[in-house]
Amino acid sequence: MALALYLLPLPVCAQTIDFVSAIHPLLAKRCIGCHGGDNPQGGLSLTSRILMLKGGATGPAAVPGRSAESLMIKRITGKSGQLMPLGSPKLSEHEVKALSDWIDQDAPWTDVQAKVSISWNAPLEPRRPAVPKSEYENPIDRFLDVYNRERHLAFSEPVGDGLFARRAYLDIWGVVPSSAQVLAFVQDSNSGKRTQLIDNLLNNPELYSGNWISFWNDLLRNDQGVNYAGTRKSITPWLQSALTKNVSYDRMVTELINPVKLEDPDGFLLGVNWRGAVNASQTPFMQASQNTAQVFLGVNLKCASCHDSFINRYKLKQSYGMAALFSDESKLELVRCDVKTGKFTGPEFLFSQIGAIPENASPAERRAAAAKLFTSPENGRLARTMVNRIWGRLFDYGLVEPVDEMDNQPWNADLLDWLAADFADHGYDLKRLIRQVMTSRAYQLPSLPGQDDKGKEYMFRGPRPRRLTAEQFTDTISALTGEWRVLQTDQSASFVREWQVKSTPLSRALGRPIRDQVFTTRNPEATTLQALELMNGETLGALLRRGSLHLLGRLPVPPAPLYDSKTISKGSKNLDVDLTGVNKLWFLITDVNSYDPARTFAGWADIKLTGAKVTKKLSDLVSIVKVEQRPMTAQTKAFDRALVPGIPSTLVYDISGFGFTRMQGSVAMDEASVRSDVSPAVRFFVFASEPDRHQLVAVTGRPPIPEIRPVADPNTLINNLFNQALCRPPTTKEMQIARDTLMPGGEISAAGLEDVLWSLLMHPELQYIY
Amino acid sequence: MNLNHDLFRGLSRRHFLRASASATLSALVAREPRLLGADKPMLAPKADSMILLWMAGGMAQTETFDPKRYTPYSTGLDSKEVLSTFPAVPTVLDGVQLSKGLEGIGKVLDRGTLLRSHRVGDLGFILHSRHQYHWHTGYAPPQSVAAPHMGAMISRTLGPRNPDIPAFIDIGQNLEIGGESDAVKAFHTAGFLGGEHGPFLIADPRDAAASTQPSEYLGRSRFLARYDTYRKLVAASPVGEHGSDYQKESLARSFEKAHRLLNSPAAKAFDLSLEPEKSFARYNTGRFGLGCLLARRLVEAGARFIEVTTEYIPFRYWDTHENGHTRADDMKKSVDGPIAQLILDLEERGLLDRTLVVLASEFGRDMMVEGKPGATVKEQVKQPDVMTEPKHYGMHRHFTEACSVLLFGGGVKRGQVYGRTAEERPCSITENPVSIEDLHATIYTLLGIHPDTAYETEKRPFYVTRDGKGKAVPGLIA
Repeated sequence: MALALYLLPLPVCAQTIDFVSAIHPLLAKRCIGCHGGDNPQGGLSLTSRILMLKGGATGPAAVPGRSAESLMIKRITGKSGQLMPLGSPKLSEHEVKALSDWIDQDAPWTDVQAKVSISWNAPLEPRRPAVPKSEYENPIDRFLDVYNRERHLAFSEPVGDGLFARRAYLDIWGVVPSSAQVLAFVQDSNSGKRTQLIDNLLNNPELYSGNWISFWNDLLRNDQGVNYAGTRKSITPWLQSALTKNVSYDRMVTELINPVKLEDPDGFLLGVNWRGAVNASQTPFMQASQNTAQVFLGVNLKCASCHDSFINRYKLKQSYGMAALFSDESKLELVRCDVKTGKFTGPEFLFSQIGAIPENASPAERRAAAAKLFTSPENGRLARTMVNRIWGRLFDYGLVEPVDEMDNQPWNADLLDWLAADFADHGYDLKRLIRQVMTSRAYQLPSLPGQDDKGKEYMFRGPRPRRLTAEQFTDTISALTGEWRVLQTDQSASFVREWQVKSTPLSRALGRPIRDQVFTTRNPEATTLQALELMNGETLGALLRRGSLHLLGRLPVPPAPLYDSKTISKGSKNLDVDLTGVNKLWFLITDVNSYDPARTFAGWADIKLTGAKVTKKLSDLVSIVKVEQRPMTAQTKAFDRALVPGIPSTLVYDISGFGFTRMQGSVAMDEASVRSDVSPAVRFFVFASEPDRHQLVAVTGRPPIPEIRPVADPNTLINNLFNQALCRPPTTKEMQIARDTLMPGGEISAAGLEDVLWSLLMHPELQYIY
Repeated sequence: MNLNHDLFRGLSRRHFLRASASATLSALVAREPRLLGADKPMLAPKADSMILLWMAGGMAQTETFDPKRYTPYSTGLDSKEVLSTFPAVPTVLDGVQLSKGLEGIGKVLDRGTLLRSHRVGDLGFILHSRHQYHWHTGYAPPQSVAAPHMGAMISRTLGPRNPDIPAFIDIGQNLEIGGESDAVKAFHTAGFLGGEHGPFLIADPRDAAASTQPSEYLGRSRFLARYDTYRKLVAASPVGEHGSDYQKESLARSFEKAHRLLNSPAAKAFDLSLEPEKSFARYNTGRFGLGCLLARRLVEAGARFIEVTTEYIPFRYWDTHENGHTRADDMKKSVDGPIAQLILDLEERGLLDRTLVVLASEFGRDMMVEGKPGATVKEQVKQPDVMTEPKHYGMHRHFTEACSVLLFGGGVKRGQVYGRTAEERPCSITENPVSIEDLHATIYTLLGIHPDTAYETEKRPFYVTRDGKGKAVPGLIA
């Protein structure tokens, strides 16, 4: 025991013996058979610490802190009396050592039985407990008022306006408010302003969905631009529309479980599948069984997908019954740990008491019936599970924990049941539910630092600090600086939020999951790798460099291209550009979405520059980097000389003095690249001045958050940054520290601003919603 | 303004320290999965570090470590006649031959075991990244929980050897590779073990120095000044004055660790420019070769687990189909010298005995068989019956029924070939097959980790070898 623990990177108490994992199993296996029950041998029972210390006929079994004097150790080592355990093999050396160390550490005891609660039987049907009478208006607070009174507690004072605003913006929009928004809110003397703010924020469908969509993507295993060997089907357009329109939750579930229309989200049931043969417990239908049970019902069927579960009451047959709701065949053979059992099951909802599904129903009929059962008014679990997820998200701790184990006992069953019934009774309105929670006194309480809850009963005192998600963090940087990422298509380019682009090393380090699994909580852990990415990563570095220039109004206006080929996957396109007045040329090839950019041969083909006096081939001009020239065939067209610089690439030519007025030729995709295992897709651009690689074409549309105007006065700048990032003004001392960094030479420097921004972004007050 | 500054209040610093003193690791690393069966004694480790040399893309065993009958190229050659496209050459071990081009490794073969009977998973229609996931985690995807990479399991179980060197370093794979990018990302993680145990990724060993020191753009002095500003601001925060709490502490600790790494003398190990020119040249066959050099430097500095991979990009490097012969030739040129040098260098420094070096690939290759013999796996490439051009010579399909593995150092039996495959097609294993779980069990055992070591996730045990069933192979252990 002790040996094994030494190997853990334990900073403190390396040799602490864990009773539950190390001692109790040993006692149970080797001792309690005789020293337990109603009539223990020698009068000694080892079923509790008290009984152990009371001892038997020959005295106490252990002297806490002194193993050498303890009878138990003397007996198991044979130092005195009969060698124990009687009539069975001696305890091993490490077992003896574990027991000795444990006694030396005062023989702490945890009641192992109490951990396995069998007394709670989670109700299925909705329950509508009466709202208690109390001075508080919000029913949540009335329930918690009773809860507090029972524990001789009282609500603390709510947080101040600034902090409340910060919470509200981050929880609804996923970004910090602007300085002006914070100030306006704080200075507003209207007594109903908090509720008003929540309503205003919820009434912005774009920003609300831009934040909450990541919560749903985690649940539904959906990710933008991620396709898993071609077999994942995006449900983004459906999801975005559902959130923007605040579609009721039961309708969302219906469409996820029974997609019938073209725009319905069939990607959810299809799941994430890899090419090749699959273990029986992971077929697409078993995945659908596990995912629908976990996400919508808070039940873990993963164990029961191989065998009857050891950790909950669910059986193998139930997992297959759920799978048969979605499978092609109406009967599925149970496969236990990859061995066929010869037993079959038809479709059966997990809570079969709600209703049955006809055995011979077609797949479409089964899915339709399943959707009805999941969303049946008798299925209180649907609402309870979602209400609990939202509560968990806003308080960092669900009414039931873990949030995926809804069979566990809630710490306040009345509150959970009332909230769930209220949610269902009001049309499963998600925004209304969020409003209900956020307008409560409970949500507005000061946050308490999180602790390790293991072994302790949870006590509600208010929300716990929550780490900003990867998406909230990156979007907040954009909100602070005005610098957003650009999503570029052939039709348009627009400013977008983190969720709309593929994950980056930064967002992955900050916990944006690889969604090959359902994720229902984010890991808030601060890790070394994450800190390295924050301190030294290129993604954040680039965001801050541009962000700082942007905020100071020093970012050059991106030039428009002279030529833009749009996406080319095969063949060629003519290029004809007016070069009047142009002295320098930049030729860019960017990857759009090639399967294998390294084997994508795309080039500038037979390009000719002409002027009044001289005509030259592009291939005869000297570029700054060397570039391969070759003949090229693009579909039926043959080109003599194409420049094939690779993907992505930039060629720069100085053409001053030639007097060129026109450039003609083609951009072409070599026929050799046009094959399914390369699937080339590139885009060619020509510029007459240094291009801005983040904005190659003009961005249309507004950024997600209105543009911030550059500020010239350092104090105003710092004030705004603090107000926005932390929702409070800087203290005099903080102002001084920030000024020193902002103006190393007495004037605002872009690098200095970068450093102030970085320092604020790393600040615990920023990293947490607290 | 009515701004409430008093929100990080709660446990006082003293209270926090007292609380943590009586708590276990879980209090310090929140939500980290619990090690199960901590009462089991640790095995006596025979190796303290491990280097995994990953031949990504499916290395053809018949063109490398398990050469068969050689047939030179001629136009009109019957494809099914060809087993190996290189002659075999002798090695330091009597009667043991490797494919031509591996003379360097042949000379150090007496320092380890050549395992010719590794059998990987039979997963149907071949997908490289899926087999890579399987080999690296021990579990074939999809899984119902996120399976950790072997390096993460080792990091979580053994921790770093030197606190300034990340316990799990992964060299050579760019994660943005187009095609199978997302699938490759899926196993380059610590899965449910949590980010602290994830890979420290170095896509190109030539950039390693840059990734462990302040960026060139920032420079060290500005980097330090910026960190100083951050610390002053945190200290000056009116919220901060009210004491301490778990989140703030863990955040600060993570920054301190990263900061320490970026300023540690140990970071010099990452800097290949500090390597003597002669030694550098011996490794310099490109990214993989320099990756081996970096691995050696890191082991010297106290790294725990390092993977060096030939990059996986669909249809490139070891993913040899067309022009298989010349491609295999190129690959051998890039790996033979550096691997041999790595073994010699580790030995010279007295590190080989405590460093386990393993070379492996997601599967082998054969010209005619896709998947395993007799399987009806969908074929992805067609070999013409008769070779009409050199590009057909050494054309390879994916073969899961046998592949070769090398094991050196750290407790591995020296100077033997273990297992055997048939001399004629199908060149399946005829003796001593070793599965992924048993190979992993051997690796874990040599590192002192029980093959049935498990961590708790979603209330169930998740074992380092599949379902805890891996058994170390005695014949591989000294």
